[in-house]
Amino acid sequence: MNLQALFDGLFSGAIYGLVALTLTITYQPTRIMNFAQGETFVLGAAVGFEIIGVRKWPWPVGLAIMLVIAVIMGLVMERMVILPVQLSGSRFAWIIATLAAALIFQSIFSLRYIGDTLSFPPLIEKTFAVGSARISAQQIIAIVVSLLIIGIYDQFLRRTIHGRAMRATAHNPDTAIILGIPTKRIVVGAFVGSAVLGALAGFLWCPENGINPATGLSFTISGFTAAVIGGVGSPRGALFGGLIVGLLNSVAGAIFGGIASGIAVFVALGLILVLKPAGLFGKPIEGH
Amino acid sequence: MKSTNIALRGLGFIAIALVIIFPFWVTSTANPESYLNVMITAGTSAVLTLSLNICMGYGGLLSLAHTGMQMMGGYAIGLAMLNYDIDPWIGIFIAAAASTLFSILMITISLRATYLYFGMITLAANLIAMESFRTALGNDGMITELYRPAWHGEDLTTRQFYFLTIGILAIAYLIQRNTILSGFGRATMALRESTDTASALGVSPNAQRVKIFAIAGGLAGVAGAILAMQGSFMSPEIGDMGGGLIFFVGLFLGGVGTLIGPVAGVALIAAIDFEIRFSGAYRTLILGALLLLCMMVLPRGIVGTYRASRAGSPRELEEEPDTTGEEIITVSNPVVGATAIEAIDVVKHFGGIKAVDGVSISIKSGRVHGIIGPNGSGKSTLVSCLTRYHQLTSGEVKLFDAQMPATPFKVARAGVTRVFQIPHLFERVSVRDNVLTGMYLQEKYTWIEAVLRLPRYFITTRAEEKQAAALLHLVGLGKKSEIAAANLSHGQKRLLEIVRAVSARPKVLILDEPATGLTQGELDALHNLILFLKNQGLAVVLIEHNVEFLMGLADVVTVLESGKVIAEESPEAVRNDPRVIEAYLGRSDISELMGE
Repeated sequence: MNLQALFDGLFSGAIYGLVALTLTITYQPTRIMNFAQGETFVLGAAVGFEIIGVRKWPWPVGLAIMLVIAVIMGLVMERMVILPVQLSGSRFAWIIATLAAALIFQSIFSLRYIGDTLSFPPLIEKTFAVGSARISAQQIIAIVVSLLIIGIYDQFLRRTIHGRAMRATAHNPDTAIILGIPTKRIVVGAFVGSAVLGALAGFLWCPENGINPATGLSFTISGFTAAVIGGVGSPRGALFGGLIVGLLNSVAGAIFGGIASGIAVFVALGLILVLKPAGLFGKPIEGH
Repeated sequence: MKSTNIALRGLGFIAIALVIIFPFWVTSTANPESYLNVMITAGTSAVLTLSLNICMGYGGLLSLAHTGMQMMGGYAIGLAMLNYDIDPWIGIFIAAAASTLFSILMITISLRATYLYFGMITLAANLIAMESFRTALGNDGMITELYRPAWHGEDLTTRQFYFLTIGILAIAYLIQRNTILSGFGRATMALRESTDTASALGVSPNAQRVKIFAIAGGLAGVAGAILAMQGSFMSPEIGDMGGGLIFFVGLFLGGVGTLIGPVAGVALIAAIDFEIRFSGAYRTLILGALLLLCMMVLPRGIVGTYRASRAGSPRELEEEPDTTGEEIITVSNPVVGATAIEAIDVVKHFGGIKAVDGVSISIKSGRVHGIIGPNGSGKSTLVSCLTRYHQLTSGEVKLFDAQMPATPFKVARAGVTRVFQIPHLFERVSVRDNVLTGMYLQEKYTWIEAVLRLPRYFITTRAEEKQAAALLHLVGLGKKSEIAAANLSHGQKRLLEIVRAVSARPKVLILDEPATGLTQGELDALHNLILFLKNQGLAVVLIEHNVEFLMGLADVVTVLESGKVIAEESPEAVRNDPRVIEAYLGRSDISELMGE
């Protein structure tokens, strides 16, 4: 067993799980799979790059600024996606609107960071050797933080009144309104929350593997694959889906070489869709 | 109304004329080639957008693999040229075939997937295809030195290639138009609205989806072939989703699910794109913003908005069309009194609930068979069992002494059609097209015949239109045949739905609570229609809560309670049967005390 591939897979898997969670958070109350979600990931990387990488300000400041900008981005994105969807009435509106939003953000990032690879130094510059393999402190932090967030969100959904309100909205928005649940506020909250977590995922990922500012869509797709494999709507599913995608990617890549990693993931996706269309942890979802 | 149509037609001719004289017009400019290339690119985009419109707009299949289909076509022609020295003229067909195969593969894998996943799978397939070419071919998947087809020994000049592209665009448009305006197209649109309804009309959902997606794939492949020959290269980036944004913008701007919308939208977008061609990276930004704006301000697109406006939508006719001489036939080969459906001991359990618990029923041609029973007694479930929308837990259903087919669309093909409890009209298409959709099973012409407009298409269509007019006249909807079905009243929708169901000339018609919410006048019309159908020899099954209405029509009534038959007798006998009264009203001695 290739230990290095396992470590790398766990790290990227945890991050993909976090992205899958953010997709789930917006999907539940709106039934919209947000293709622009990966752009929040790029935002996190970009703010880290500017503040910590270029200006050399300390990490906590970078984190704080990132959170503030992510909230703004979530608010903007909510309007950019929800408004066209409401006004259009087409059954395809959600996908066109989120794709358009994704490409708008992507071109903004590309314009600002032409030719740059977004990267910045990690919080703790330390690497542990385990046999021949190495795992960095940054990777461990990322894995722990992702697990914590997913766990907390899972409990939030199950235990708190707000979580129950969100689940009710996910099941039936019309009934939720009748029960006095502020569905509009929940939608805005979902967009803001997923933007913040998406940016955090990018922020955690970036010191380890720098990213190209135009690759937001590919992170959306990884997160999407993870969410579908795990079952859309379930935080645990997001985590397991993410780990499966991350591990398959790195292990298949290590054994069979580059192209195998992408194909292995899609084969897994195909198998899940044929054998268990609702995903490993999900309940069947309805079409639009 | 007429004058706007003439004006629009004039506008169309002017546009075509401009496109034809364009190459001669730009020869005087400094760089005519570049202008021609812009137009060729726009023409290619239009072909691809037509393909997208066929599968998304008319088929309701969300495809995120259109750039990939295009890339597939480009590689097919390119590799055929480079490795096998195949003539580009033949290469265009190879491109279409390769991309058709790719799309068939995608849709067969994903037929079971729900709507959201379907888009996802196409996106994934797109990425795999891109990645495969990138790694399999070396040089990052880039192939170069592709060339244009030759004419009389010489490679086509840019001007000739321009005309080739325009010709292909015209053909692509005709393929789309002739496909949509045929039984094949109506079946596709039926499927877009509701799988259940389409099945009830005899459309095989899976087969139809594969066909429509394959057609879209073929067109996209041709677009890829033009692109490869024009640029003389092909690379995996052609399959990139970002590059595909322009097709979505064009489609939405022009109008999804309209015939000319995609072409108009791409023309507009190409003009805008030409204006902003020096903006570099701002181009995506502008196109993206334009798309969002368009969705908000012009949600139906240019053509769609016009069609929905007063000027663009058809009106009611001045008078009922004359249909004298047209014999109405709503049933094929009736044998009055013969047993049509024979159900023996049908059982259907949902988990622990015994929705239908051992029902035997015999339905005869030329009779109205009423089914009544309190809410939850299993009436609709029984019907769904008979028509195979539900799998039976146990029991047997026979149709004219043969085994009832196993899937809903095959049941419809065998001559059993149903009208659902909730209206399932195709609201966006005209009243007449709703009836024509119902005739799907009678159409013997193939897709090729429809696209080429061969004689059999015309003969069938003319006969169908006459029959449809007569059927609409029968229920008093003749004047409304041109307007969208959404604009009918509830009662008219009900009548239209029944007419649509019988336009396929079935042997058995099953009506699930057709009288709910009708006014007295509409009830009378429905009554007369059902009587007419019965007299033609159709076996009519009538589930109804309106007992008064049912008693006036039924020859025999079956009463269900808790999934079991509690009585089967003539209407008069049912009326006085104490078991029935008890099922509906509780024990008779008590209900009499309450004065009924």
